[in-house]
Amino acid sequence: MNRVWRVALYEYRRNVFKKSFLWTLLSIPLMVAFGVGSGFVLESLLDNDLPVGYIDQAGIFENAIPAPVSEREEPVEFIPFQSEEEALASLEAKEIQAYYNLPADYYETRTIEIVYSKKPAENANRQWWDFLQINLLSDQPPEIAYRTAAGTDVTVRSMDGKRSVADSGPLFGNLMPLFITMAFLALILMSSGYLMGAVAEEKENRTMEIVVTSVSPLQLIGGKLLGILAIGLTLLVTWTLIVILGVYAGRMMGIGWFQNLAMDWGVILATAAIAAPAYILVGALMIAIGTMVTTTQEGQSFSSIFVIFHMIPLYISFAFLNSPGSSLAVILSVMPFTSLMAVAMRNTFYSVPTWQVAVSVCVQTISALGAVWLASRAFRLGMLRYGQRLSWRGLFQTGQAGE
Amino acid sequence: MHPVEVTQIAKSFGETRAVVDVSFNVRRGEIFGLLGPNGAGKTTAIRIMLNIFQPDRGEVSVLDGPMTEDKKDRIGYMPEERGLYQDIQLERCLLYLASLKGVPDQQAREKLSEYLARFNLAEHKGKKIKELSKGMQQKAQIINTLLHQPELVIIDEPFTALDPLNLELVKNVMEELRDQGVTIIMSTHQMQQVEELCDRILLINDGKNLLYGDLNEIRRRFSGHAVLIRTEDKLPELPGVKESESHNSNLKLTLMDNTSPQDVMKALAASGTNLEKFEVAVPTLNEIFIRVVEEGDAK
Repeated sequence: MNRVWRVALYEYRRNVFKKSFLWTLLSIPLMVAFGVGSGFVLESLLDNDLPVGYIDQAGIFENAIPAPVSEREEPVEFIPFQSEEEALASLEAKEIQAYYNLPADYYETRTIEIVYSKKPAENANRQWWDFLQINLLSDQPPEIAYRTAAGTDVTVRSMDGKRSVADSGPLFGNLMPLFITMAFLALILMSSGYLMGAVAEEKENRTMEIVVTSVSPLQLIGGKLLGILAIGLTLLVTWTLIVILGVYAGRMMGIGWFQNLAMDWGVILATAAIAAPAYILVGALMIAIGTMVTTTQEGQSFSSIFVIFHMIPLYISFAFLNSPGSSLAVILSVMPFTSLMAVAMRNTFYSVPTWQVAVSVCVQTISALGAVWLASRAFRLGMLRYGQRLSWRGLFQTGQAGE
Repeated sequence: MHPVEVTQIAKSFGETRAVVDVSFNVRRGEIFGLLGPNGAGKTTAIRIMLNIFQPDRGEVSVLDGPMTEDKKDRIGYMPEERGLYQDIQLERCLLYLASLKGVPDQQAREKLSEYLARFNLAEHKGKKIKELSKGMQQKAQIINTLLHQPELVIIDEPFTALDPLNLELVKNVMEELRDQGVTIIMSTHQMQQVEELCDRILLINDGKNLLYGDLNEIRRRFSGHAVLIRTEDKLPELPGVKESESHNSNLKLTLMDNTSPQDVMKALAASGTNLEKFEVAVPTLNEIFIRVVEEGDAK
């Protein structure tokens, strides 16, 4: 077997057969599941399907028309009471969560009383107002009454017509490029962290000199890169499978959010085109850091800086998401580190021009090539400096060890 | 052609001149001592031989020509700064490193079993490296250097952390390898081991050759024209003796240039002195080392 593959296999096995890898593997799906799950749980906790009562002294509900209810909600039952005593008794018996009292002069005063022991849930409140609205319009043709009560769905469309998002919030398909970017980022940062650790460990354990007298530095780095890439692919494939399973389960359960899975493959391709050189850029810098530091721990503290750089667009999203075509947005979209996240975020609501994607890919590629040069130089200079830190200044000085 | 030929190599790192002018040859099947005080340039010279560093000047021939990637498998190297992967098992670590030397798995396993048994590490093969004692780790390093059956062994401080039993074991292994025709370059500060094992030596300091050649010849050269005697009798007046001083339980007599040890022996015999011991004083390698380095520093 080629020695590059031996190094790759060793790196792969060394990392994948660790307990900590299982946590890494499950961290992203667990995080997403926790986020989505807690959202659903929270929503269901906030909902209360107990009936709501009303005393109609204004005669609005004589021939009550049921309120339109969204597919995602259970309809709340509205029970009429003849007197307040009856309604109060029912509330005390916890048969209803609240009751409304519409006085005889409601049309003149537009005043309604509500009585409850605990504020009624959001779903009950929303359905009550729809119920009231549709019955106030009972003299109108049913379709007008229904349309008024149900409101209007607005779709926000970008000027070039390439991107459209429901005003109520983006669907799964809209957010897919952003999810892919997050997964790519997690992948880049995790796998490059492994890479940095692998190089720093050779130095920390003093195995570097033994290994470079068995394989060439190029074979060593190539093998490590391949091994880490295989780890990255393992993570990516696993996450993708979990997402597919999750989406399938969501569709089977009839969750509306997963029903429209239409995706813009051009956007996904653009994301991948930026992510590939971004991966090499961060990976090469991690090798450079790994050979410059004295311990793995020291290297890890450096790698956290990269996480911050990549997250800059997320931190300042308020500054450019309202005007996704602004100069700031364009700069963030082409700069190394920030580009991947900025382009993905803008692409959710806006169509990033092709030229900006092309410039971004070029900038990432040039940066990646520079980083590879820097990494090879750092490796040559730093690999045998056991217990010594190679400074950034030293990295650019000529006449250093090994040259 | 010798397995190793180093000709006037020089290497600087910025302002620091690590190796100024070093030349030596190592013969096939000999144990060659590469000696020098700390910072003398030994490690840099070794790294140049192994092509880890490129020399600024000079030529190196290793195993009949310039050092190339394919020759790495024929060389066993134990560096000064050494270590093994701390978090993996001894057997797995050594098999992996052997695989990087191109040793087929089955062959590596067989040879490793032999070595583990010989170095009394067989029962520890499942332990992580970090769980082994320093002496055990040192033996593991030596196994790693030899596992792929190299033609040339370059070994830096092989006796560190070894108890007398294991030290003897390592010496025996090195002698066996030499007898099998393996060329060994050994760098150490343990002069007693050099005296016992090495055929020839090179002593360098400040990146330059100070002493180079056959060990016995060097010791003769530094014998200092003196004799060691031990007697219970009062020492008579001896012609040709420049100085007399106590040396351990002996007397060391430093002779004038025109006086030989035989002249002194005759004079002692003629005076009827009962001698318990009479020998030509040959300095230890340690004494030669200190003297040469100090003289070099004084210059």
